[in-house]
Amino acid sequence: MNVGRRTLFKLAGAATAGSIIPGCKKEVDRLVPYLLPDDQIVPGVANWYASVCGECAAGCGILVRVMEGRAKKIEGNPDHPVNHGKLCAKGQASLQSLYNPDRLRHPFQREGPRGAGTFVPLKWEEGLQRLAQVLRDGRVPPMMVTRPVSGTLARLLSEFMDSMGGTLYFYAPDAELPLHAAWRESMGGDGAPVYDLAHADYLLSFGAPFLEHWLSPVAMGIAFGQMRQGRATVRGRYVHIEPRMSVTAANADQWLPIRPGSEGMLALGIGQLILDAHRSTAHGQEFERFHRFYGSVRLDEVEHVTGLSREVIVRLAQDFDAARAPVAIGGGSACSQTNGTLSLISINGLNALAHHLGRAPIAQGWCHDEARDDRSIPWLTEQMMFELAEKQDAGAGPVLLLYGCNPLFTMPRAVPIKTLFEQASFVVSFSSFLDETSEYADLLLPDRDALESWGDHVVENPAQTMGLSQPVVTPLYETQQIGDTILELSRRLNLGHGQSKTFYDLLRGRWKTVLADQPHTQTADWFEPEWIELLQQGGLWREPSQAAGPVNFAPSRAFEQARFVGEEPDYPFVLHPYASMALGHGEGANRPWLQELPDTLTTVVWGSWVEVNPRTAKDLGITHGDVVRVISPFGTLTASTVLFPGIHPDVVAMPLGQGHASYGRYAKNRGVNPAELLAPALDSMTGTLAAGATRVRIERTGEKRRLATLERPTMEPSDLIAIDRR
Amino acid sequence: MADTNKTKSHKWEMVIDLDRCTGCEACVVACHAENNIRISGEDEASEGRAINWIRIERYWEGEYPNVQTRFMPVLCQHCDDAPCEPVCPVYASYHTPEGLNAQVYNRCIGVRYCGNNCPYTARQFNWFDPHWDPPLEEQLNPDVTVRQNGIMEKCTFCVQRIRAGKEQAEKEGRPVRDGDIIPACVQTCPTSALVFGDRHDPESRVSQLARQDRAFHLLESQGTHPAITYLKRIA
Ligand code: SF4
Ligand code: SF4
Ligand code: SF4
Repeated sequence: MNVGRRTLFKLAGAATAGSIIPGCKKEVDRLVPYLLPDDQIVPGVANWYASVCGECAAGCGILVRVMEGRAKKIEGNPDHPVNHGKLCAKGQASLQSLYNPDRLRHPFQREGPRGAGTFVPLKWEEGLQRLAQVLRDGRVPPMMVTRPVSGTLARLLSEFMDSMGGTLYFYAPDAELPLHAAWRESMGGDGAPVYDLAHADYLLSFGAPFLEHWLSPVAMGIAFGQMRQGRATVRGRYVHIEPRMSVTAANADQWLPIRPGSEGMLALGIGQLILDAHRSTAHGQEFERFHRFYGSVRLDEVEHVTGLSREVIVRLAQDFDAARAPVAIGGGSACSQTNGTLSLISINGLNALAHHLGRAPIAQGWCHDEARDDRSIPWLTEQMMFELAEKQDAGAGPVLLLYGCNPLFTMPRAVPIKTLFEQASFVVSFSSFLDETSEYADLLLPDRDALESWGDHVVENPAQTMGLSQPVVTPLYETQQIGDTILELSRRLNLGHGQSKTFYDLLRGRWKTVLADQPHTQTADWFEPEWIELLQQGGLWREPSQAAGPVNFAPSRAFEQARFVGEEPDYPFVLHPYASMALGHGEGANRPWLQELPDTLTTVVWGSWVEVNPRTAKDLGITHGDVVRVISPFGTLTASTVLFPGIHPDVVAMPLGQGHASYGRYAKNRGVNPAELLAPALDSMTGTLAAGATRVRIERTGEKRRLATLERPTMEPSDLIAIDRR
Repeated sequence: MADTNKTKSHKWEMVIDLDRCTGCEACVVACHAENNIRISGEDEASEGRAINWIRIERYWEGEYPNVQTRFMPVLCQHCDDAPCEPVCPVYASYHTPEGLNAQVYNRCIGVRYCGNNCPYTARQFNWFDPHWDPPLEEQLNPDVTVRQNGIMEKCTFCVQRIRAGKEQAEKEGRPVRDGDIIPACVQTCPTSALVFGDRHDPESRVSQLARQDRAFHLLESQGTHPAITYLKRIA
């Protein structure tokens, strides 16, 4: 970085204020850098603290309104280059994580058999001593599984595990590893995908839930608003392809239902038609790889597999080709198939092709200039679970450390995740809540809430964002930040990198190094004022640069068809599990605001359901509210039927997120978890779960159960909309 | 605009661009967090008694495979000729000089005539006392009253924010500027589908947008003259 940081701030700040949200600056109240000591709190006056939203990996900047030491409201940080002052529903609800009545308030240790979920309180000193002891005594190197983290915490965790010869894994059910694996082969380079929707004039989405929870949903939402109505003369068109109409798809100009797993096939057809249209010019070495990959398919086969007519496919190709700034994005259900990565290569390859044909670059890969410690950390895939489960005997396994994920809930039962826990010689969880996974622990050393913690968050975007998070309230309970717990363990184990006394010192030290490379005043105490300014600002970012890496389409394999588990005559439907917009893969289920947030398409609150096409329902003799059994080769669940006009007749859909057996009063014993039905089918290239590859059948139970919905029979919605249609 | 004396009088209005709204419901949670809207729970919700001051209506159109969905954020329309106002025997539902349809909680006696007379189902009744499992109540906004059993409630246009914005401008000895006052739902809306401001200021964003060709009002035929202008979704 070679631009002075102060200039940077000015540039970045000016760009935001001018373009998106005028007047969002908090002038009324004070934006303070540090948590105020009690004697400086003025009653009735609001202070605002800048921090980072901890609810997903997007890393939106937040401002928290604090009065008399209590956090009252969270808003987006208007200066932050990811979310420009905006937040999603989950971000808005994150205060209910901080003030959740079911938080773990101090350490616990297991009493009774492992997994029974009975614990007794413990002092921190005892807990740390115990863990240090088991790590010292461990016969095999320990293993840590965490949600993806970045910045200082990523470095600390990986150094800690390295120094013990153990392994650190990332795990997140929504990681979309196929997307990232495909990116390397279809676009080249190691960057993270960034889609500049604001400047697209034609958007073709293959299953990507970009307005709900995909990659960076708030950034995408802002860009989508601009794509539609932010330009004087252009309104970007949007076509969405997916077996089920998601909330995102509901915003498309056209939704095209397609057979599950055939998304990549459709992209192949489109690519081939575009190459055909440019026959006279699109040859030479540059296009050779495209011809080889996209030429491998027959169009009648595309029609057959996708269920779309030739006419529709040709029109998609023509529209994509005719656009000045087209973009194809793939994710969500297109990722969750056995051919997930290959489909994504085929889809993203359309962007590479458009690039070579001289179209505006909407899809680009971005790398961060700073070293990314998290880049080298491996992901725990379902395939690895099978490999690990074969290795050890019960009780002879590693010490297992868990943080920020709930794999016993999110992984299918058919994946031997439970075996890993049974084999572990000791299990420790740093989770803030007792969930399905921490119930299985021997020791609970609860982390602080994100709003009580120090940290930083690196985002790979054109602004090279490094967000800073800080405590906005005094910690409520006797919890300890995972960073501090790890540092203490290091000291007890003499691992050598425990020199920093606290995680805060470590964080400061790291930022001092980052800033030292940049121009700054030469006074001895130059860092302190800079640090305060950064905390007030919410982090460090620069003016977005224009240049992204070169595009290089280099698929390592030819396309393959998707495979499904379950014989069609016995299991006539493909199950389409999808992450709930509010509850995600279950992590939002303990926030009452999110439980009571009506699912936008069905308006259901506090529950689970099965979506069935009205035609299919008629054939099956079921109707709205009928309780049915959903049966896969791996399990059976019951739920109420919702007649859903936006779903392929051969597909039934269920939202993920409910069905907890633990996780506090709002989540526990509510609804069902579709992960229990899933076959252990894997993406052929990354080995992650192909969650959309299980077949099911539907059976009537004869029972009826009314779902709690916002939509009330007394309302006459046609009245309100009649005006709109006029 | 009729009134050009913009330092003195305001007319608060909102524009909702249906071509931008994605149904993400960030506005719904933001409103709950800002306005101390109680948590109802599953049982009350299934009785239709959950409270939302802003909701996203969803309409299905057409049949598979040619189905389309439309989303429409609906909140109190702050009608100039509000059907809820004349029916209240105790004047709890009344119109402020700045165009807000306001509800005086300590006047309300819970007869629910106003709710029955609102064509937009914007008014919601408290069938029981609110409850927050401790320490959830630590989050409650001290600037907003908590409503008890027997009270009618609805969107206030975040009147506490309007008040704060005006006080601040007064303190600084200047008129309220466009964008000074931002209700919670508008603040968070990722796509900027919601825009709030003063219709007495012809240059405000809300005034400019409301003049667009796509503008319409809900249930125009009822003659309620809402303060919320919708912009049609294209296609
Ligand atoms: S997208 Fe939502 S949950 Fe994710 S960081 Fe942003 S506000 Fe938080
Ligand atoms: S204006 Fe305020 S009170 Fe009204 S819906 Fe929006 S957030 Fe709720
Ligand atoms: S926040 Fe905005 S885009 Fe999202 S549902 Fe509300 S009005 Fe629509």
